[in-house]
Amino acid sequence: MESTLSPSIPAAGAAVVARPVLALPVPLPSFGGLRKFAERRASLVGALILAPIVLLALAAPVLPLPDVNAPNILNALQAPSADHFFGTDKLGRDIFTRVIWGARVSLLIGFSVAAIAVIAGMAIGMLSVTLGRAVDSAVMGVVDLLLSFPSLLLAIGFVAVFGAGVTQVIVAIAIADIPRAIRLQRSLALGIRGRSYVDAARMFSAPTWWIIVRHILPNTVAAMLVVASTYAANAILAEAALSFLGLGITPPTPSWGNIISDGRKYLQDGWWICAFPGMAIVLAAVSLHLLADGLRHTLDPRAEA
Amino acid sequence: MTTYLRRRGLQTIPTLFGIVTLVFLMLRMLPGDPAVFIAGENAGQEVLVNLRHNLGLDQPMLVQYVTYLGRLAQGNLGQSLTNGKSVVGIVQGALPITLVVGGLALVLSFLVAVPLGAVAAFTASRGHGALDHALMVTALVVDTIPGFWLALLLMLVFTLQLGLLPATGPLDPTNPAAFFARLALPVAVLAVSQIASVARITRTAVLEVLHEDYIRTARALGTPEWSVLFGHALRNAALPVVTIAGLSFGRLLGGTVLTENIFALPGMGTVLVNAIFARDYPVVQGMILLYTLVFVAVNVATDLLYTRADPRVQL
Repeated sequence: MESTLSPSIPAAGAAVVARPVLALPVPLPSFGGLRKFAERRASLVGALILAPIVLLALAAPVLPLPDVNAPNILNALQAPSADHFFGTDKLGRDIFTRVIWGARVSLLIGFSVAAIAVIAGMAIGMLSVTLGRAVDSAVMGVVDLLLSFPSLLLAIGFVAVFGAGVTQVIVAIAIADIPRAIRLQRSLALGIRGRSYVDAARMFSAPTWWIIVRHILPNTVAAMLVVASTYAANAILAEAALSFLGLGITPPTPSWGNIISDGRKYLQDGWWICAFPGMAIVLAAVSLHLLADGLRHTLDPRAEA
Repeated sequence: MTTYLRRRGLQTIPTLFGIVTLVFLMLRMLPGDPAVFIAGENAGQEVLVNLRHNLGLDQPMLVQYVTYLGRLAQGNLGQSLTNGKSVVGIVQGALPITLVVGGLALVLSFLVAVPLGAVAAFTASRGHGALDHALMVTALVVDTIPGFWLALLLMLVFTLQLGLLPATGPLDPTNPAAFFARLALPVAVLAVSQIASVARITRTAVLEVLHEDYIRTARALGTPEWSVLFGHALRNAALPVVTIAGLSFGRLLGGTVLTENIFALPGMGTVLVNAIFARDYPVVQGMILLYTLVFVAVNVATDLLYTRADPRVQL
């Protein structure tokens, strides 16, 4: 998607970029770039998909849904119907309910991983740039080492040692993202450090922390927010993969990955058990990627709106 | 070229050391006493002493590390705790399956994605944005489809409903028809996971090349459009595409763990997951080490392909 939208390309990207596609009845305030954000169709679609998922996940405990884990054998393996939108599983549990409760786990993991990776990446990347060559090469050595593992394998190795569970899964996935975030923060910071306004600040003998806080960090936040959104999408996919293998979130706590893993045995008699949580994963991941795209254009001053 | 090879080889050494050290530390990071963790809470004292001795856990850490390195240098990855087989022997059985599945998927994904990406770039450059846009939106969605979920859906349709392709059963290379039928679904699933990113990179690379002067020259000379696109533009766009091939191979390797598991292929991924559940740590260590070595080797090979794809790159 990102390439469709680079300003140098005419055609499709331009169609989206150049004219506001949705005529909004009331002009949005230009405050904080909100309008710029909403005028991009991609980001708007992303937000429109993600918002209901987040709301349903947050509201899960107060929604009039059947108990998420209570078995009801009389209802086992019911096809989707008005009573059970997504059908029921082998134990008669409502899949719709389980997918909504699973959203809580998946979104918690997605957002936690994104936050941890970006905050750690910004902090360590900044230290690496600031504390001199020895620290920098040590940090980059570890970064390169971690990046030489395929990321899912790194996560699998981590949960193999520390076991399954929400915290372990968050850390396992974040470990693969943090080195990427460090690298990005470092290269952004190095680029900004060479700008003339940093030289100017230095000339006025601004202390290093002031330059970091006032000049460098604000100018890297935008790019880090964009990657945070894609990290969240990838973390949701990674969690699903780990849970599917039985190494991530273990039943009875529902997660999109372990509902699918559970439904695997009943593929023939209950396709819906696998089908709907998978769609939820795709929708959540797509919406986060679309949001990333919207953020990129809203926050990057060079991208035209 | 040979000096480059040598230098690249030397650069890999610290990485390899780091990887080996991390994998070595894995067993030592187990919470509590690894022997109790592996053998279970109820294991007798004798079993624990034996296990500690077999794993070398009764030695000082440094001695363990040196022993581990020494064994590795002799190509000894230790023995499985569940069946006593040598880990190297297990790898010899499993690695070829993973490499065949992964390799076929890589080739298939390029055969599909590169033309798609090139066509998307071409239509975009000609102002017919609709097709390009449709292709790129599709790529975005395809990119987020979890491979294991796609595998189950394909299994449902092609195995359970249509009965066309097997999803389980023996893997017999002496019977090519059955062999490829058995591998069709896993290879397709893995290929799909690569197609979106490869198509997207191809599109960006070709779009950039289409603005070059030599493309205009080729057109001015009356070269047919298909030849401009596939002969001139694509050839020059090959470099970033090759890079992505190397980088995305890590994702492909991760995907093999799930795909092999679903389709009951006795490759590295299946061995790894089974070993984790059996707490067979020497095997877990060996598999993660091997997976990572394959990844590193592919990245080095990608660098070498650079010189073939673009003679201007001096290494």
